[in-house]
Amino acid sequence: MTGTAAIRGAAIRTAAIRGGAIRGGAIRGGAIRGAAVLLGAGCVVWAAVPVHSGYAGFALFLAILGVAAGALRLALAAVPEPEDNYLLPVPLRAWLKFLETLRLVPWEEGALIAILWLEVLHPARPWHTAVLGAALIGYLLATHLAESGASPEALRPQVRVLAVGAGLIALGAGAGMVPAVGAGAGSALLRLVAAGALIAAAGLVLPYVAAPGPPGSRGSGRGTPGRR
Amino acid sequence: MSSSTEPNDRFLRVPGHELELHWRSSRHARRLLTLGVAGVFIALLARRPEFAGVAAPALLLLAAGRVQRRPARISVRVRPSATRAFEGELVALDVRAEGQGEGHVRWTLHPGADIDPGDVTAADGAQARFTFTPERWGRRQIGTMDVVLRDRWRLAEGHLTVTLPKLDCYPAPADQRTKVVLRRLPNRLGEHPARTSGEGIEFFGVREYVPGDRQRSINWPASTRRGRLQVNTFAAERSQDVVLLADATSDVGVPGSSALDLALRGAAAAARAYLEGRDRVGVITYQWGGVSWLGPGLGRRQLYRIIDSMLASDSAYARGASFRRLPRAALPPGALVVVFSPLLDQRFVEALRDMRERGFTLLVVDVLNAEPPVRWRREDRLARRIWQMEQEAIRFSLRELGVPVVHWDGVESLDLPLAAHTRRPLAARR
Repeated sequence: MTGTAAIRGAAIRTAAIRGGAIRGGAIRGGAIRGAAVLLGAGCVVWAAVPVHSGYAGFALFLAILGVAAGALRLALAAVPEPEDNYLLPVPLRAWLKFLETLRLVPWEEGALIAILWLEVLHPARPWHTAVLGAALIGYLLATHLAESGASPEALRPQVRVLAVGAGLIALGAGAGMVPAVGAGAGSALLRLVAAGALIAAAGLVLPYVAAPGPPGSRGSGRGTPGRR
Repeated sequence: MSSSTEPNDRFLRVPGHELELHWRSSRHARRLLTLGVAGVFIALLARRPEFAGVAAPALLLLAAGRVQRRPARISVRVRPSATRAFEGELVALDVRAEGQGEGHVRWTLHPGADIDPGDVTAADGAQARFTFTPERWGRRQIGTMDVVLRDRWRLAEGHLTVTLPKLDCYPAPADQRTKVVLRRLPNRLGEHPARTSGEGIEFFGVREYVPGDRQRSINWPASTRRGRLQVNTFAAERSQDVVLLADATSDVGVPGSSALDLALRGAAAAARAYLEGRDRVGVITYQWGGVSWLGPGLGRRQLYRIIDSMLASDSAYARGASFRRLPRAALPPGALVVVFSPLLDQRFVEALRDMRERGFTLLVVDVLNAEPPVRWRREDRLARRIWQMEQEAIRFSLRELGVPVVHWDGVESLDLPLAAHTRRPLAARR
């Protein structure tokens, strides 16, 4: 009951200070959302070209749908849903149902599967697939940053693990390019086992690579005191 | 929002609640898992090792996320800036988490009924401040706060929900500056000029000088004219007893501007105005199950007592309420009774007539601003016309008894409808 003026004054001062931060944050958020959409679209094009006939068309449709719906979900993330949705007019209810569906369905997962499906329809092209893998990881990270509102600084602790992952992508592509020692299924299986062994070895090294840093280290995700 | 040291000082007195977190995978983790599993699956099916390479970064990130430490419980402190507020008043809510380690905390406010959270309902950081506005009087639940703790790599999310404390929301007093004053005031010092001479500041008359009068009160022009010393006299200043009578038996109209809303806001405004004028103010609430009352008193604290007493009202059928059973302390003789009522309950109107016959000076503020809904049928329109005539008859009968009835729409200042009675003292006709 007391201190309303103080609260209002503090709110106004904070709003003024936050105005610049909001503008900066909005530009950064828009850039990250744009990057996520571009990466998703790029992955679809990269995996689809040259377009095959048959199931490729369906996979392409699914991939485009997933990427487009994911982008729309990111764009409409800030739209609030009313607490009371009783006795609303039909168009508003339809809009709320659309929003609910958009936020419930895992569009990005569907897009990932469809893009991989598109890629596997092509004949083996290991480096092409490796670039696609790197772009897909980038797409997922950009989508994550866009939906959580975090800055790219939040990815700093993961850099070493991502570097190890990039190395594994390159090793996988290299394994795919190594000519088979002999014809038959055994040779391909051998290469797969080698790739699996590499991943397992990387996993064993992981606790030393990805150990949590000391408290207060850069990019620890700790919140600013009093930040809204 | 605020300095880094100030919230710490404020939070020192707030007990923290140790709450258990429910951890689950984040959306990001689920997407990485999909990529990893799909890549390995295709690599095995198609016997193409490059797809195992595609799966590798996602699986590595997931495995690395398992290495991170996740607290099972965190301490949450919640501190509203006030536990009591008026309608439309801005209230701040400070929240703070402890024991989350390197995790990232996100707060989401889910406001309760009739709580307006403003534009911001989510915040990041170990501590945050939200502001909200209670929109309607009553004991309000501020709402709930969802806390999401994300691990350092944001692959897992710990969820918990905190129930926020309750807030006593008082009706926002309407605007009232002028006061209705009785013609006959009790012999008690106050601020209203009485119709007897005394030690006030308002000129009352001239009389002949008697030894002991102060020299500064000699009226020299009058003394010169009459040839004898004349002195000025001044009106005595008295206070009065005011009893506010709130009718909580009927609540009709749009929520937020219903009859009960207006009655409480008007009564709060009157209480504030009369208490500022050093009058003793009490309240009687006519409500479900009888009558509750608070004897007249002085001071700012009395205002909150009066509002608390009114907030306990329950709008429903008033069973067996009678003002005859009220003690003398609740309704002192000679008090001004200001009534806020839609005059819909016939027994309440009868009670007013009874009070008037017992000699109390009444002033009724009519807060009825709604009419029964009507369809365009002749019978319906006729019924409404009869209802309107009944209402007019009730008000006419009160006026005939010497009880002024003024209508207040809840928007304009209370001074406007009361203007005819604030210009001169209100006399009780016997």
